[in-house]
Amino acid sequence: MTSMRRRKSLAISAGAAVAAVLLAACGGGATSSTGATSPTGGSTGGSTGGTTGNAVANAGVTGIANPSDHKGGTLTFASSSTPDSLDGGNEYYAWTLNFNRLYETPLLTYKSTTGGAGTQMVPGIATALGQVSPDGLTWTYHIKKGLKYEDGSAVTAGDVKYAVERTYDRGVLANGPSYFPQLLADPTYKGPYKDPNGDLTSITVPDPYTIQFHLVAPFPDFDYVVGAFGQTAPVPKAKDTGAKYELHPMSTGPYMFQSYQVNKQAVLVKNPNWTQNEDTEARQNVDKVILTLNVNADDIDNRLISGDLDVDSAGSGVQAAARAKVLGNPSLLRNSDNGFGNREWFIYLDSKVAPLTNVACRQAIEYAANKTDLQTAYGGPVAGGDIASTLLLPGMGGYSAFDLYNAKSQPTGDTTDAKKALTTCGQPNGFTTGLAYRSDRPKEVAGAQALQQALKAVGINVQLHGYPAGNYYGNFAGAPTFMHKNNIGIAFGGWAPDWPDGYGMMWALTSGNSIVPTGNANIGELNDPAVNKLFKDVANPKLTLDQRSAIYGQIDKLSMQQAVILPEVYAKVLIYRPPTLTNVYIDPAWGMYNYAVLGKSS
Amino acid sequence: MTVSVDPAAGHLEPEATATAPGAPIIQGRSLGQIAWRRLRRDKVAMAGGTFIAFLVVVSIIGPYFVQDPTVYHSSLIDPTFSRPIGPWGGISLAHPFGVEPITGRDMLARIVDGAPYSLLIGFLSTMLAVVIGVFFGIIAGYFGGWTDSVIARAMDVFLAFPLLVFAIALVGVIPNSAFGMSGNQLRVALLVFVIGFFAWPYMGRIIRGQVLSLREREFVDAARSIGARGPYILFRELLPNLVGPILVYATLLIPTNILFEAALDYLGVGLIPPTPSWGQMLSSAVSNGFYYIDPMFMIIPGLAIFITVMAFNLFGDGLRDAFDPRTR
Repeated sequence: MTSMRRRKSLAISAGAAVAAVLLAACGGGATSSTGATSPTGGSTGGSTGGTTGNAVANAGVTGIANPSDHKGGTLTFASSSTPDSLDGGNEYYAWTLNFNRLYETPLLTYKSTTGGAGTQMVPGIATALGQVSPDGLTWTYHIKKGLKYEDGSAVTAGDVKYAVERTYDRGVLANGPSYFPQLLADPTYKGPYKDPNGDLTSITVPDPYTIQFHLVAPFPDFDYVVGAFGQTAPVPKAKDTGAKYELHPMSTGPYMFQSYQVNKQAVLVKNPNWTQNEDTEARQNVDKVILTLNVNADDIDNRLISGDLDVDSAGSGVQAAARAKVLGNPSLLRNSDNGFGNREWFIYLDSKVAPLTNVACRQAIEYAANKTDLQTAYGGPVAGGDIASTLLLPGMGGYSAFDLYNAKSQPTGDTTDAKKALTTCGQPNGFTTGLAYRSDRPKEVAGAQALQQALKAVGINVQLHGYPAGNYYGNFAGAPTFMHKNNIGIAFGGWAPDWPDGYGMMWALTSGNSIVPTGNANIGELNDPAVNKLFKDVANPKLTLDQRSAIYGQIDKLSMQQAVILPEVYAKVLIYRPPTLTNVYIDPAWGMYNYAVLGKSS
Repeated sequence: MTVSVDPAAGHLEPEATATAPGAPIIQGRSLGQIAWRRLRRDKVAMAGGTFIAFLVVVSIIGPYFVQDPTVYHSSLIDPTFSRPIGPWGGISLAHPFGVEPITGRDMLARIVDGAPYSLLIGFLSTMLAVVIGVFFGIIAGYFGGWTDSVIARAMDVFLAFPLLVFAIALVGVIPNSAFGMSGNQLRVALLVFVIGFFAWPYMGRIIRGQVLSLREREFVDAARSIGARGPYILFRELLPNLVGPILVYATLLIPTNILFEAALDYLGVGLIPPTPSWGQMLSSAVSNGFYYIDPMFMIIPGLAIFITVMAFNLFGDGLRDAFDPRTR
């Protein structure tokens, strides 16, 4: 399976900072299967080729499976790899951020509930969401009084400030997102390890229970910046051990570290100083939590099915072998969930590579692609996802199910319209272009050949160029000059937003300000004045959430009209849960089970 | 092949005697003729050889007789499991080896179309490794001293070289066309170079060891005593005695190289899809987990590689026995 790593790309440029919208965004994990109405997937386009006779029960998608208040037991997690870190200030994987809520609490956090509300921010250690000043530049948070760490010492606003300060030292904590240095007014600060006497002046602490962030430009999504990651979880300066802090982060959540052997196992026990009243989004249902690392992926599935294990921590669903077992067995299906994985897989069409410089040529590719074959390449309707036709994921604010290129009405490809578009483009007999994909990702290898085969039917000749995933964005597809020089007009990619709204999903993909020389995520190189203006408009602090969502909907349509991205699937995951696991549901914020509320029945 | 001063071949083997009672004349035979006669009687080796010959023929004319290996048959695939509909990997009259999961491409066509690439890369890279390895192995073994030290250290360097890292880097810097070649032609040349150029030390070490013992033998002394010099002794006296080990290790190297090509394929340094190769099929069966849900997809290319490897090994063994029956 693909990793759940959030894509990281930094794009700090003076131009971006001047424009109201700065930032680089990143991929992460946050869709939502909004509204309780059709969380299993507006499978309008998705199940086109489906022949499976058995349906997934989806008790953990439509609601909460096995709700229970039963206390006690041991909750066991296993991972086929290792975490990026267990220190909230150094995490970017969706699953480690999810797991982090068992022992660390940021200022804000995602609401622990099913449906669209699960993507909302609610108070963590703060008393309320941020209060923003009229100019949009100052965000104020108050911290709950009486909160304690696991050792009984008090949590203060200074600890939150210190927690953010330490993330400035990328040499020590390299993994987290870099929103704070880009948004706050003091980007030259080096962090407390290199500069022990320095001060991050753009964060002020007027009193021990108040913290203020001073931004260089309005940023309406700032609540997500403080809440979607672990970087604002308080860290007492006296206990900080830099990179080794992950061995024992000071807990503010329901569990605390008993032991952690790196690359092997972490054992968490109840935190006696945690109270349910102060932390409504987490639960303390079990006595012990064990996370075992580096376990074979197929072995994890087998142990889940046999009941020896409770959760595959990666949350990306079962492997192909277990998929066959689960889908073929009604009793296993009863304990399975097939929900959205907070990610979209798509294909970039580079608007700066001839002849794709002409929008009609890009549209020809959009029409001609065989979406069913692409869906099959990614694992089919169950393990792959629903056929996509938009950039926004279903359930995101502003999402509407428009279908400009007949992805859902003619999923095997619309050659008639493709040929018309080719004629408009002045290439009635087709053309030749290159295609970049990650050769060590079997799904993209299959997808690349499927697209090549489909485009051949309208005379578009595609040459495949496979590159290793490790530096795919650094040196190859994410380097515009490389794409231009090698005449590569098509590139496979995917995106999981850092937080579930239109900004998190689309800014890096379609804003002209996001184009960077390496690590580029706007591979289509869309620099459209109308889209850029909308991104600027949306930063206006006076707008309401609904108004912003409406703008995101417009950006989605405009970007799709420009045909710089050919959507493949809204990714779905097939997760198996042992029947003894309680309070289980796919959290729309993470695209996997919400680890903070799980429990065990006897 | 000359045998004049080789004592091992100098005396007559029983087979070399004309045994037919009516045969009036006793003919002298070369070592090659003797070996051929022995080989022909070795049924197992001949079976291996026949299969290799069959494979070569299939590689050359087979692609003209099978379907287009790039055509998708999505209707034959169950999208939920991404596997072929029907048992045994979708085997039917139209698709005697079944179809590929995900795409529904005809497996027979892909196996047949993949054969020339696998064989070509296996043969050429082995030839490259043998030529370089034998050349340096003989020189190192025969001359010894500092020549040996330099070559042996060079072999160590090559053996310790992080080949996969090198191969990945290479695909980044080599553009789509270079050295007057492009596309798969360039890929095959690159693969042959990378595999062959880094496999020669294995051959070199074995040859060096053989030469170390051979150079002390009487026939070498004899040649030297009648005035033969370095190159003559190396290539006319020693080399013919090395044919056995060279053939045996070359036949072992060919399948190793075919498998190595598969590994490089997986890293994206191999052939460009949709060109089929056995290694690619095998690695995609493993990496996609198809060994569980569609075992035939792994079994068929696996069998192709297995039978080919075995054929080469059996044939190589037979060759060695034919050249030097004492090692039997």
